[in-house]
Amino acid sequence: MTTITKQNTTPAVHEADLRRVRNSGIKKVLGYAVLLIFAVIYLYPFAIQIATSFKDDPQAAAHPLSIIPNPFDLSAWKRMFGLTSDSSVPIMTWLGNSVLVTVIVTAARVFFDSLAGYALSRLHFRGRGFLFAAVLAVMSVPGVALLVPKFLIVTYLGIYDTYAAMIFPLLIDAAGVFIMKQFFDSVSVSIEEAARMDGAGVFRTFWSVVLPMARPALITLTILAFQGSWNEFSHFLVVTQSANHKTLITGLAGLTSGSLGAGTQFPLKMGAALLTTIPVAILFFTFQRYFVRGANEGGEKG
Amino acid sequence: MSSTRTRRTRAVAMAAITGALALSACSSGGGFNTPAATQAPAGGPVALKMLIASSGDAETNALKAATAAWGKKTGNSVEVTAADNMDQQLGQAFAGGAPPDVFYGADTRIGDFAKAGNLYAYGDQVANEKFLPSLVQTFTYNGKLQCAPKDYSTLALEINTDLWTKAGLTDADIPKDWAALETVATKLTQGTVTGLVIGNDINRGGAFMKQAGGWVISADGKTMTADTPQNLAGLQEIKKMMDAGALKFNTDTTPAAGWGGEAFGKGIAAMTIEGNWIKGGMQKDYPNLKYKVVELPTGPAGKGTLSFSNCWAIAAKSQHQAASVDLVKFLTSTDQQLAFTKAFGPMPSTEDGIAKFKTDYPADAPFAAGGDYGQGAVNAPGMDPVMKAFNSKMATLSKGGDPKAMLADLQKNGTAALAG
Amino acid sequence: MARRKSSIHGREGIAGWVFTAPMIIVLGLFLFVPVLMAFWVSLTNWAGNGNPFGGGETAKFVGASNYTDLFLKDGLTRSTFMQSIGNTFYYVLLVVPLQTLTSLFLALVVNNKLLRGKSFFRTAFYFPSVTSSIAISTVFLFLFSNSGAVNGFLKLFGITGPQWFADSRGLLHLILGLFGADNPSWAQGQIFGRTLWDWLAGPSVAMCVIIILAIWTTTGTFMLMFLAALQDLPVEVDEAAALDGVSAWQKFRLVTVPMLRPAIFLVVTLGLIGTWQVFDQIYVMGKGAPDNTTLTPAFLSYSQSFTSLKYGSGAAMAFVVFLIIVLLTWFQRRIMREDKKPGWWRRRSTLVGAASSGAAAAATPADSTSAAGAHR
Repeated sequence: MTTITKQNTTPAVHEADLRRVRNSGIKKVLGYAVLLIFAVIYLYPFAIQIATSFKDDPQAAAHPLSIIPNPFDLSAWKRMFGLTSDSSVPIMTWLGNSVLVTVIVTAARVFFDSLAGYALSRLHFRGRGFLFAAVLAVMSVPGVALLVPKFLIVTYLGIYDTYAAMIFPLLIDAAGVFIMKQFFDSVSVSIEEAARMDGAGVFRTFWSVVLPMARPALITLTILAFQGSWNEFSHFLVVTQSANHKTLITGLAGLTSGSLGAGTQFPLKMGAALLTTIPVAILFFTFQRYFVRGANEGGEKG
Repeated sequence: MSSTRTRRTRAVAMAAITGALALSACSSGGGFNTPAATQAPAGGPVALKMLIASSGDAETNALKAATAAWGKKTGNSVEVTAADNMDQQLGQAFAGGAPPDVFYGADTRIGDFAKAGNLYAYGDQVANEKFLPSLVQTFTYNGKLQCAPKDYSTLALEINTDLWTKAGLTDADIPKDWAALETVATKLTQGTVTGLVIGNDINRGGAFMKQAGGWVISADGKTMTADTPQNLAGLQEIKKMMDAGALKFNTDTTPAAGWGGEAFGKGIAAMTIEGNWIKGGMQKDYPNLKYKVVELPTGPAGKGTLSFSNCWAIAAKSQHQAASVDLVKFLTSTDQQLAFTKAFGPMPSTEDGIAKFKTDYPADAPFAAGGDYGQGAVNAPGMDPVMKAFNSKMATLSKGGDPKAMLADLQKNGTAALAG
Repeated sequence: MARRKSSIHGREGIAGWVFTAPMIIVLGLFLFVPVLMAFWVSLTNWAGNGNPFGGGETAKFVGASNYTDLFLKDGLTRSTFMQSIGNTFYYVLLVVPLQTLTSLFLALVVNNKLLRGKSFFRTAFYFPSVTSSIAISTVFLFLFSNSGAVNGFLKLFGITGPQWFADSRGLLHLILGLFGADNPSWAQGQIFGRTLWDWLAGPSVAMCVIIILAIWTTTGTFMLMFLAALQDLPVEVDEAAALDGVSAWQKFRLVTVPMLRPAIFLVVTLGLIGTWQVFDQIYVMGKGAPDNTTLTPAFLSYSQSFTSLKYGSGAAMAFVVFLIIVLLTWFQRRIMREDKKPGWWRRRSTLVGAASSGAAAAATPADSTSAAGAHR
């Protein structure tokens, strides 16, 4: 085939074009088919989750695949929001804790991470190289090796089972510092140098000149910090114990793993899981492009 | 040059500050040094914390009501929390230095907790409450009663009477021995219904071992007796019925059930083996189910059942031990125990209480009868992980697990654990 | 360029330390110090009562015995730990290649110029990566329950699905069983307290659910990394390849893959690190059940400490996992260093950056590592 094509140029090119068009047609269909199949695999579980939270127990077991609850049953949601006599699922307490911790941690991370990232990138001081190496080293410590250590330190400090124990250790993350340092490395110094020449102090320059320029990176960092602290589990698991320090995530883990009394009660669990997903989902769909940037932060900058 | 030096000085200073911060908060050992039992000054209302491993809302609410009543009487308050993972929550609480004042002490963990020094052994203060001797033995470690037995339950056979009559069975068919059990279970197995559904661990299967004349550990709790032919016979009976399709573990039913009672309530099990707690569970989730309770059938060695218990443990680190003991005395009084019985089904832990129970609840006679010959839990320290490992092995009986190898492992691991 | 005005630098010196002080305090106090503390505890027999640093009966110094017990002392601790290592080995062996291939495949399809609606699909595939591991695990518990969606789906084809979470049979055992091998005599030798046959079990059916879960949640993140790398590919190469008339497969094998090498290395490294750290999923999906076949060292370390009250042993396990991860990363770096293709050095910063954000993107908290995120 190929040899023929090369010999008789004109008609063969025509033929090849046709074939290419046909091929690309097939390719397109195939491509869409693959994408659709995967999209179903990736999204259908969420649809089932939503639907199941509006079913009752027997229905959830009998029609697990259906995404149309029939009959429509609100009892799982009523139970979660305290509209029944049963108080075993104090969602509002969990929600309050989640929001509290997430807001503080996100704000702190955005501020402190960029502060430290800026210093590591721009300020000349002795020990900077060492500090940056330390940040890299810290990033490589696996989180699971820290469960017992964290428990030890918060107990040692006498803050076990307090909000302080939940919040303080999360105030700064090495990965965030790293991202900010990378970001500042990639932007030009000229504007801030001008500001410094005008006599602005280091912090003033940082606050009113550098930070406004860093908006895209800050948004990315905000998203990562929000998502990270909202979804955090193992840290809260080891540093708290009492019911009134539970977050949505640790509460849900308790529902799912512990005995909810009797029964599987999947609608309730799906509903609670859905509740933990909603804020992140809203954030995700609003700031999609920043999420993508987050996943590829260095990739796009490098 | 000088600027270099100042910078270096600053670096050192920074490091020193960090170190100081780390140490100052805890120069005295920090949170770990909570003294064993610094008692809060007497007088004035105290706020107690109670952690329970609840079987469900009925139990939690009953405890809230009872502790509120005590609080009203004494002016104190009690915060009742239902744990979702009792073992881990307690473990963290002990080490974290902030354990609940009063908590359910599981019979299986008493040895561990007492050995680690986590319990306030107040047994002598409740000595005259006439607790059942077998329960006192369960909660005794190193010759000391560690805590007051809360209540107890035994296993019995529950039968769904509708399915029973539908299968053409009568009262005369109620199984008295293994052979009869096999027969009725086979008859009851039809369509989506399995004759007998039981939990997949020693807490149910152990009854068969007991009926065959075996048990995993010697009566004095010092020697493992797991790899005996009797124990093997018990497990093989389960396997035999399983192979015939007449018995399933709760995890193997479709849909899988959280426990035997759930399969029973949903009507996918015609019979199950559970304890008194099934009453509360059925009342709440499956109020229309008609069933009856009978004693477990006998095995080659006669009758055998298991008995489960919790005690009212008080933490060694509790700052309100006196108030806690007072609360426990209130909760273990005969009237209060009978109130709990009414609410969620366990049997009273005292002689007086159980006598009343027998007259008040004739339908539950099979549970009470089990009290006379029920085998208590394995409570030696260090045995908990061993029994857990065995339980996870036992669950594989339905997937081709080898009972003999399981028991051999249990023997080996248990012997190692008992040796310390 | 520096050292123009020493006064400015003097100020910068103070500012530098002040700006980084919060970081030094938080990371030092909640990361560095605790690791030292835990190392000390791993050398004691502390059972959670009293001060672990005070010595005495409650926290006796026992030397390295907590470590040696994991490898040398016959008993439940060793056999359980070794089982968790074995479980994780198969988990890594399946998850890392499958998530790498799936994400690469998805990236190639999404990157196809002929197709539209790219951003929708990219979003769809990435969404599972941003939601909480606990929530996802809860959903999977339902999907794979005996009467769940997966078995319901299989039923459409007349297949009776397994009881996923109750099935402790190993995949390799099942396959070997087809050839008539069932605990044969050649597999009775003991290695670290487990028979060769036990080591050969493969992932249990229950573990497969967690494997599927891991692949499902991580491919989105890795796909984005591949997409970024693909978009970085110079267009000229593509056109040159098209002119040379090579087939699509040849182009993929001879042009795309070599160009993607750094990204592939990155994804594999992140995968290797992350897969050793599974914790959340195990906590929610059965805590090791059935028959400890879903137990991971990370979870075992936790339960050994907080449930069995053997904090020294639990901490020792954590350090062994730490060591394994460090060795794996080191090993990966060695390979990468040997890969001295000129293009690679240019891309190093890209790589490191992407590594960090991989972590970040997958929602790691302050303290966890670059890679953990994807899996936690």
